[in-house]
Amino acid sequence: MGKLTIGCFASLVGSLNLDFTLKLAGAALDKGHKVDLWVSGNGTMLSIKDQRAFKDYSSLAKPLQELMEKGLNITACEACAEARGYNKDNTMEGVKRHSMDWYLASTFDADRVLHIGGE
Amino acid sequence: MKLAVFVSDYKMTVDTLERLKPEKMGIILVQNGVYHASVKENGNASSVLDSSADLYALKEDLETRGIDPANVDSKVKVVSFGDVVDLIFNDYEKTAWL
Repeated sequence: MGKLTIGCFASLVGSLNLDFTLKLAGAALDKGHKVDLWVSGNGTMLSIKDQRAFKDYSSLAKPLQELMEKGLNITACEACAEARGYNKDNTMEGVKRHSMDWYLASTFDADRVLHIGGE
Repeated sequence: MKLAVFVSDYKMTVDTLERLKPEKMGIILVQNGVYHASVKENGNASSVLDSSADLYALKEDLETRGIDPANVDSKVKVVSFGDVVDLIFNDYEKTAWL
């Protein structure tokens, strides 16, 4: 089994890229791979706790929680989060916050990297 | 190098794809990129399908857009998320996102 690192940049909750990213991460975890996920830019919105799910509106908090229980290692860009007012106190439990060197280090020991750009 | 390129939009990305010259290339159509697999303009299929690369389209994204996977161009293989994971790990060394 290998390690897949996914970097998801500049995507808001409700975006196609974040939805795709979590589904791909889930498929990789189901096949026994290790998955690191880095969210940057507006993608850090995914890390906020107490997201409310509405019918017919994309909500990723619950799927993210389930993936973390399966072993997903997710880290949000700390500077991107702070710039948007997402502080440590309103970060979802289990989501780490680091500077971009975390992503760089993860890509260096990953078997495969998928860098998903902004929308 | 064996390169898998994810095409996520219906805008024409042929110029970019043509500049890529890996030893082996796969084009994985995802999100709105799956329209390349089925939409014809003036009777012509998308020029993305003229590529010599292996072509794939994500089944879930086809179905989300009301496209019957049975009706995509015959050059395109319909794949699941699990298949995409296998392509990433087994068939290609690097990935790119367009």
